[in-house]
Parts: sequence; structure tokens; C-alpha cells
Amino acid sequence: MKRMRTLSKIREDWVLYCMLIPGITYFVVFHVIPIIGMKLAFQDYRIIGDNVWVGLKHFKLLMDSSAFFDVLQNTIIISSMKIIFIFPIPIILSLLINEVRSGPFRKYVQAVAYLPHFLSWVVIAGVWISFLHPLDGGINVIRDFFNLPSIDFMTSKEHIRWVLVFSEMWRSAGWDSILYIAAIMKISPSLYEAARMDGASTYQQMKYITLPSLASTVVTIFILNLGFFMNAGFDQVFNLSNDSVNSVIDILDTYVYRIGILNGQYAYATAASLFKGLVGIVLILGTHYISKKYTGNGVW
Amino acid sequence: MKKLFLAFVMILMIGVLAACTNSEKAEKETPVKEGETPAEVGKTTIKVVFKDDGPSNPVAVTYYEKLAEGLKKDMDLDVEFELVEVAQGDYAEKLNLLLYSGEIPDLIYFQGADQQIADQGLLEDLTPYIEKSKYIKSTMNPHNEARMKNYPYLLWIKPLDPRVPVVRKDWFDQASTSAALVENPTVENYRAFFDEIVKIGKSTSAVTVAGDIRELDYTFDMAFGINQTWLDNNNGFEHFKVSSQTKNKLKFYRELYEDGLLDQQYLTKKHDTKQEVFYKGETAVIPGTNGKVIDIYNDRMIVLNGEKSELEVLPPAKGEYQGFGATDISKESRGVAISSQSKNKEIVFEVLDYLASPEGQKLDRLGFEGEHYNIVDGKIELTEKYYGDWYARYWEPNKTEFDLSPKTPLLGEAAAKSIEMVESYYSEDNAFVLPEEYIAQWDAMENLYKEYSADIITGKKPLDAFDEYVEKWYAAGGESLTKYANDNIK
Repeated sequence: MKRMRTLSKIREDWVLYCMLIPGITYFVVFHVIPIIGMKLAFQDYRIIGDNVWVGLKHFKLLMDSSAFFDVLQNTIIISSMKIIFIFPIPIILSLLINEVRSGPFRKYVQAVAYLPHFLSWVVIAGVWISFLHPLDGGINVIRDFFNLPSIDFMTSKEHIRWVLVFSEMWRSAGWDSILYIAAIMKISPSLYEAARMDGASTYQQMKYITLPSLASTVVTIFILNLGFFMNAGFDQVFNLSNDSVNSVIDILDTYVYRIGILNGQYAYATAASLFKGLVGIVLILGTHYISKKYTGNGVW
Repeated sequence: MKKLFLAFVMILMIGVLAACTNSEKAEKETPVKEGETPAEVGKTTIKVVFKDDGPSNPVAVTYYEKLAEGLKKDMDLDVEFELVEVAQGDYAEKLNLLLYSGEIPDLIYFQGADQQIADQGLLEDLTPYIEKSKYIKSTMNPHNEARMKNYPYLLWIKPLDPRVPVVRKDWFDQASTSAALVENPTVENYRAFFDEIVKIGKSTSAVTVAGDIRELDYTFDMAFGINQTWLDNNNGFEHFKVSSQTKNKLKFYRELYEDGLLDQQYLTKKHDTKQEVFYKGETAVIPGTNGKVIDIYNDRMIVLNGEKSELEVLPPAKGEYQGFGATDISKESRGVAISSQSKNKEIVFEVLDYLASPEGQKLDRLGFEGEHYNIVDGKIELTEKYYGDWYARYWEPNKTEFDLSPKTPLLGEAAAKSIEMVESYYSEDNAFVLPEEYIAQWDAMENLYKEYSADIITGKKPLDAFDEYVEKWYAAGGESLTKYANDNIK
């Protein structure tokens, strides 16, 4: 009976379901089929002839490498910093944008906030290197005004991870807030009207109506973001790194790129990527079940 | 209404997808791509993959058409070239992906990562071809010959590529320390020159590099006793990066940095910003690859600062030894290879040999007649377009026999001098091709060196931290690599 109902619903909205096809095709071609290629992690790749099955050889090499654990540690630290400090920003930004009443000003704020998303990391790196220049960079000019010593952020091991966090925040906060703004738009205006009639302040409306309504979106996005936890930002690190700070921001992706792509060690690089993917799956499933248990919300 | 709109969007999307499919199919059905001539009966097709030379590059297409014409006319060789388009991005990376997907052209230009392909037996040993070649054998430089003996798969007849330091001639002439530097370029005289040149140019720093101190090593390594990768210290070979010679060199760089002579921002400099500060006079000296690159720096400097600002090439520092560093003869770091799977290996090599002949060199080195050069009174006059656009894709032997007009030399004075200087200090290195099992360890060891050297130079770590680095370097794989070196270096 339930099956019949589902089928009749699909027949009714067939156009909408048809629109899923390109998306599904994309995921099958670029995300599902490559999973088969993961078997390369257990083989020595041969361009001509059959690959040689080597079992866990590449994983053993990976685990024996001290460099691998250093980059793994860097990846976890940088990703954790990004999750903790960047994740709430689009939510706060969407709440603030929602409070901007003037139409043109709101559009202006949104456009300015979205803009960095469209810049490549090459450009962003140039902007941030200039901005953080120890002599005439904006931030050090301000520090100088307050008689604070200049800091060479780009070559400082203590500061460079924060540079990654803030530059990523600047780039993505506006764009990522779109989802939350859309979720806020979905909230029924009658709830706000009723609250206002009951004398609720703007802050109270935000606290008791907007935020609870956003909860399921926030949880879903958070869990899905955890799936990308091990993607600490290849382009960003690649463009902002230098010899002095590489040891603290060298991440799994840059390591895989150097060893795997540039040195042609594809099997070794696939083993590292497979490891990264497994961590991602564990994080998604773990967070999903924990969230489901305690809040009732999960990805499914 | 909504449904109708959605249906319309859907049809549009399907249409777009269908259009893409059709065009792909059309490409498959018709082997002739844009810029290519249709295959003719009896012609040998040579598939070529070369950086920036895909079928979408009209200059490359014309080049290979003219090459095919030349081969027909001078060698009676009937070939046509099929250029392979490599995806945008890092060439070495994209080429590797292309080859690993199983598509192996006949003639391949590598810019690194060729060893793994050679290890799989996919590159042809070029030694027998070179032995019986008409032109290539006689045009090879000594370093090419040595490299081919060690690694016979890649060929790259080009000048050596060390970086040489250059300075504006008007500033150089004003400095009272210039004469001493040229006569006896000791580290001390270099230091005195740097001190003075900063004041003359009112520059922020005397010298800068693009993020990597290795550019400066070409000038100073040998003066500090680093004449080879593996230094013979009487108890066996040790890598120069963990030697006392390197420690002394880092001490010198550290002093330059402390005194503001080495750019305080060298770590974050890129090639474009390095050149920018040089042209603006914010730094007085930069290292550049000898030859054509020095010509580019020179032309740009003159355009921005006038004729008097033409460049002067500085000599390598003199100390325990003198030179722009020993030349790695373990293998070519880039070059062209012939696929062992090619059905036309002999013909592909004939093409390479033709490119070393006087006729082939004329096309490869000078470009197209009427565009990049003209014949005036029986002499070759190069055009502005030659200097702006043209570069030799294949061979650049040191000796050329073009009847060039003296008004338009192949290279400017500074560039020609830089090549001469580098050639005069040629010496061979004892570095070897790193075995595959050391690649991951080497990556860790290199990162350690880069980090510690940068921190010591910039004063973030004391000079004594070098000893701590040496311990870590050996622990990260240096010990077994040193043993391997001692077992294998003859």
C-alpha cells in the first residue's frame, strides 16, 4: 500500500523527479564509480598489463611514515579549528542579515558577503599576504597605531593556522549563510506576528522562534560538514604555505599531491585518500547516531 | 503553470546534455580536429604531447605543420603530427594523469615524474638511436652525454640552468666595491658589495629570492665548500644538507637577513613579486636562470627604467671552490622521451634528429620566416615578435651557425654572458636517482631542511638548532639513504 502511494506520488511529481537525474548522474559518475578505483590502494599500478595485488603494502608504508602522522595531526587540528570557529559564523551572519530591514542595504550586505566566495585562492592568498605584511599590511599598521609590535603572520608557526581559519571564514561565511537565510525565510511570519503581539523583543524572537526553527538545518549541515572534516583545504594551504610554516600546515591533501601526483606514487596516494575517506565515514555515522540519540535530528 | 515551467526547464537541461553528447560523438567520428590537416594515405602520424602545445594553440599547430613540410622537403619523410591537448593546470600532474589513463603518445615531453613511467618500461632507451644519429650526437652538451649514460630515456639539449645573480649596470658602475667583487668575488667582497649597493639604490634589501633560498645557493654553495650533493668527508659520503659547510652557509645568510640585506619577506615572495621589487628598485640583486630569462629581465628593466639600467651579471662567490653549483648528471630533470609502445620509434627519432640539423634548428630556434625573422641582404634579422613570443621548443645547443645580422643577436649581452659564465664553471655532481622506496622519506627530510633553514636564516631558531635538525634528518630516513649513497657512489 505504502509502495503504491510512493509510486503514485512519483507519477504525480514526475517532472520534479526527472530533474534529479543530472544530479544523480553526477554523483554516480564522479563519486560512486571512483569508489571501485579505490582498489588501487591494494595494488601496484601498471599502465600496461595487469596491476599487481600487494595487499596492505601501501597502508604499512603509510603507517611507517612519520611524515604521514604529522600531516594527519595537522589536518585534524586545522579541520577542528575550522569547524569550531567557522561553522557558527554563517548562522550568526544569516541571523544578522535577517534583521536588516532596508531592502537595498540588505542586498548590498549580502553581495559584499558573497563576493569572496568567487575569488580563487591564488587571488585570496595575494590579498591576505599584502594585508598581513609586517611593514605596511593593514593589520600591522593598526597594531603599530596602538604601539603593538609588528607580527609576520605568514611566517609565524603560532599564527599561520589562524590565518587559514580567518581567510576561510572571510571567503565562505557569506556564501554558506545562503542556506540558513533560505531556512529562515521558510519560517511562518505568523509566528513572529504572534510573538510581537505577546510583546517579545527582537532578541526573544530570534532566540525562541528563529533559532529553534533553524535547528534541524544546522544539525544536518553540521553532520554533512563532518564528512568533509579531513578536507582541510588543499588550495588554501597550497597558496598560503611557505618553508617556515609548512610543517604546521602541511595537510593530507598536500601530502597526497606531492607524493602521489607529483612523484607518480598513485597507489600510495590512494591508500592515504582511502584512509581519509574512512575517517570521514566514521565521523558522519558517529555524529548522525549521537545526534539522533540525543536530539532526535540526524541526516536521515 | 508551474508544472509547465518545470517541464520546460527539464527539456532545456536534457537538450543541453544531448548537445554535449552529440558534440563528443561528432568528435569521435571525425578524427580531424581544429587546426589539423586530414590524414593522407601513406603518411605516418606521430602523436605528440608537449606543454602548452595542444591543438588549440595556433602557433603550435603552424609549427608542427612547418616541421612536417621541412621533414618532407629535406628528409623525404612523410609525417603528420597529432597534438594532444593536456588539461589546464600543472603540466606534470596532468600529463601523468593522461599517461596513467593508458593514453601514451609517441613523443612525450616530461617536466618531472617520468621515472615511474620509465620504471614500467614505457620509455624507449635512446642510446642506440643517438649512437647512429646524424646531428644529435654532435650537438649534445657534456652534461647531456653524462645524463644520458645514467638515464637513457629523456633527452634535453639545452644550456645548463643555474641561476645567476644580476644587478642594474648603472648602480653596479657607481659602487666602489664592484671592481673588487669582479676581481675576487669572495664571500666578504660580496657582503661589502651588498652593503654598498643597498645605499646606492636606496633599496629595502640587497637581494631577494622567490620563496626559496636555493636560488641564492647557486651563487654561494661552492664558496662554502659545497661542491657536490654527497660530500666526501674522509669517513665516507655525507649529504651536503647535513654538513658543516651548510651550517656555515646558513650562518652567512642569517647575517645577511639580520642586517636587512636579504629581503625580510623572501619566504612569501613569488616569481612575479620578486621581479616586481627588482624592477621598482626595492631590491638590488636577484638571481635568474641564465640565458633567455636574463634577457627577459634585461628587456623589462630597460623598458621601465631606461637604457642605463641594463643588467650586469655577477660572478659566483669564490671560497673553497667557485662556480654556480655542480651539475646534477643523474638524469635530465625534463625533456622529451619516445614511447616504447610507439609503432614509429625510428621515425620519431628521425624527427628529433632533424630538429638538430641546420634546417630544423632554423625553424625551432628562429620561428617562422616573415613573422619572427626576415632575410635582409642575405642575413637573418630577428623581429620584435621573435623577442616577445618565440622560444625554442626542442634543442638549444651552445653552438649555432645562423647567419644573423649583428643588429639582432639571438641573446642580449647580459644573457650571453650569463651562459658563458655558467659553462665556464661546469663541474659534475655525484647525485643519483632516488630509489622509489626513498621517495616518501625524502619528502620528510626535505621538509625538515626547508623548515630549519628558513627558521635559522630568519632568526626564529638559533644557529645551534642545526644540530637538532641533523639528528632529525638522519632519523627521518637520512641514515639509510646515507648508507645507500656510500654503497653506491663510486
